[in-house]
Amino acid sequence: MSERERSSFGDPAVTAVEPTRAGKWKPQREGAPGLERRRAAGELRRALRRLGRHRLALLGLLIVGIFTVCAILAPWLAPYDPTDASLRERRQPPSWEHPLGTDELGRDLLSRLLWGARISMLIGLIAVGIGVALGVPLGALSGYYGGRFDLLVQRLVDIMLAFPGILLAIAIVAVLGVGLENVMIAVGIASVPIYVRLVRGSILTLKEQEYVLAARALGASDGRIIFRHLLPNCLGPILVQSTLQIATAILWAAGLGFLGLGAQPPTPEWGTMLSKGRVFIRVAPHLTLFPGLAIFLLVLGFNLLGDGLRDALDPRMRKLTGPGARA
Amino acid sequence: MRRLSRVVGLTLVVVGLGILGALEAQEPKRGGRVVLGMGVEPENLDTIRMASAPAAMVSEHITQTLFTVDLQGNIVPELVESYEVSEDGRVWTLRLRRGITFHDGTPFNAEAVKFNLDRFLDPESKAPFRFLIARITDVEVLDEYTVRLTTDQPFAPMLAHLSHSFIGMLSPTAVQELGSGIETNPVGTGHFKMKTWTRGESILLERNPDYWEAGLPYLDEVMFRFIPEDAARVVALEAGEVHAIMRVPPADIPRLEADPDIEVLKVPSVRTIYIGFNNQKAPFTDVRVRRALNYCVDKEALVEFVLEGVGRVSDAPFSPGIFGYSPMTPYEYDPERAKELLAEAGYPDGFKVNLYHPTGRYLMDAAIAEAVQAQLKECGVEAELITLEWATYLATLRKPPEEAVHDMYLLGWGCVTNDADYCLYPLFHSGEWPPVGWHLSYYKNEEVDRLLDEARVTPDPERRAALYKRVIEIIWNDAPWLFLYSEVQVNAVRKGVQGLIHHPREYILATEAWLEQP
Repeated sequence: MSERERSSFGDPAVTAVEPTRAGKWKPQREGAPGLERRRAAGELRRALRRLGRHRLALLGLLIVGIFTVCAILAPWLAPYDPTDASLRERRQPPSWEHPLGTDELGRDLLSRLLWGARISMLIGLIAVGIGVALGVPLGALSGYYGGRFDLLVQRLVDIMLAFPGILLAIAIVAVLGVGLENVMIAVGIASVPIYVRLVRGSILTLKEQEYVLAARALGASDGRIIFRHLLPNCLGPILVQSTLQIATAILWAAGLGFLGLGAQPPTPEWGTMLSKGRVFIRVAPHLTLFPGLAIFLLVLGFNLLGDGLRDALDPRMRKLTGPGARA
Repeated sequence: MRRLSRVVGLTLVVVGLGILGALEAQEPKRGGRVVLGMGVEPENLDTIRMASAPAAMVSEHITQTLFTVDLQGNIVPELVESYEVSEDGRVWTLRLRRGITFHDGTPFNAEAVKFNLDRFLDPESKAPFRFLIARITDVEVLDEYTVRLTTDQPFAPMLAHLSHSFIGMLSPTAVQELGSGIETNPVGTGHFKMKTWTRGESILLERNPDYWEAGLPYLDEVMFRFIPEDAARVVALEAGEVHAIMRVPPADIPRLEADPDIEVLKVPSVRTIYIGFNNQKAPFTDVRVRRALNYCVDKEALVEFVLEGVGRVSDAPFSPGIFGYSPMTPYEYDPERAKELLAEAGYPDGFKVNLYHPTGRYLMDAAIAEAVQAQLKECGVEAELITLEWATYLATLRKPPEEAVHDMYLLGWGCVTNDADYCLYPLFHSGEWPPVGWHLSYYKNEEVDRLLDEARVTPDPERRAALYKRVIEIIWNDAPWLFLYSEVQVNAVRKGVQGLIHHPREYILATEAWLEQP
């Protein structure tokens, strides 16, 4: 997956370096940050406009938006306490009183799903945060300096990529212990190699660009080159990858929850709810249907949004298909 | 006219065939294979190393015991023909059945019994259930078919304990030849012989043609299939892949009952499920706290709504029908009283504890733990659930008190010998704390210890029963456990299989089963 994304990412900054009439490459940008920022802003506006015309992406945005609102407003939206059990009202089908019915212990399913949105979003954001925080600097250093450090990092990444992500996450949870925090850490760590590869790839192509060479010629430090010139130009791919990665993280976390390695009861985590409900799949299918739908929708939302973002930020895609062609 | 007579004739033939068929159905048929679906795979089939009911269930088809418990709960001789107890209750003379051979041709005799009992008693062998007969000091061969057991003091539950599946008689030749191979290839005297064991999938047994009870067994083969997922086990039964399953999920009972090809059986079990408190650790050192939690949990609701009625709220630390049982009044559900007691004990705002529980081992175990957690919350007690896989679970809990990590734990105890000694002694006598035994609540009451010791050495059943009645009263008031319920086994069988024995020890036995259409 990362291979395709990496190669298809355009680099907006490339357009910022233009040959002068004399045919010589002239680094205009260094020393003219205002202009660069204005250009970048223009690029962003254009990207947003393209996104706006991408109907599927808008649908994704809508879904993610709705779930975000649910997650933030869960305490006010939820009609009941998500952990309030009333055995006498167990496994009730949807009704006016309980719009999505009740679970095996008589807890209101809608309330649990709303609170669950909060947990899933949190898992997605924190896990991706960990992945970005560790993966991006590592990838950048690895790509920029190359040599033995690069070799070491890349072999480590190879090892991590050799395992399917969910398996790696399971292994990490096995070491850290069961629990929600550990699931976030595990999923985060499992997504580090993806960022390392992504950023390293981008940096490798970018660091030979003239404006970077120029910056170096002007005596800019490595740190300045990496953080001021290289990384900002990787932001697009990182943003797209992160959007897609949130979906993956939510899915992995639900998988871990399903296996009983994630959130512990009575936490209303979707994967755990799915797992607890499966015993009753024949007699009370709503126990698995609704959490399953919630996972499906949120993951779909992030994936649509991520795809749209990629199309919007990718100039090559734009040239090939024209804006909004996929919608 | 001719046509009429033909019709009448045909009808007669049909009716006749029907009657014949009905008659035939009463008569057991030889041949065929019965497949039993169970949730858990035996860990081991070397009798001295087994530690679970699923292992015992498979083992009972292969390996037999000196005594056994019948369906009414009576202890009856199996490989023993008759026995005598000395006046002082310390010497047991067992006369064995003659003419029995093990599956490998080794004769079953006094030497074989001595070999097996010595092996079980050898401290080196580390048999986890050695305590069952640890009182035996000497096993003596009197003649080819007579054995004499001597104990250091009178030991009333002796015969009940000898009926335990874990004291099965294996062929001494095979044990010596196979070494640890006996764990997967037990050689006993039973109805069936081990054929193949496919780990994680099934165990297949074949008929023992030299079985000592004439005519038995009827089946050619018995297969045990391991299907851990409850729903999958039910589907396997409905699809006809297995003939009978154990531990039907309560929610599926009505559906299976409606199926004309399936019969659902509810068999009382000797297993009691409880939540133990760590009695050596605050806040459970205070009896008021322990009682409060007993008041706080609605046992009736757990049984009715989580188990769908297939359970019985405990009124003693073990279930009725077992020798020594005497009922108490269950702690009624009264959260207000619970809160008062907690406040009295100095916890007006409750406290935080952990609650360890297994998943998939007992009927709805994880759901029960979660329901208890929700009810405790109402009384201000916040219980953090810690779910562990079965093998890890036991290893984690079975620690001496100073190393214990648990505040509360959910566990079941199958009182398979049908005698109060086995129900109470291992779980409430303070001499049974780990690493010695299975007393994981670390409850200590000297009066209880004394009474339990005394009941062990009292041969008179009436006097013993009185002692156990007193013990149960003390335990009930001390509340070292959160008393929950005893299980009811729910098994389901497809029509066409006859003679399956649904035993209170949580087995299905196919030893005398037969198929209507093999």
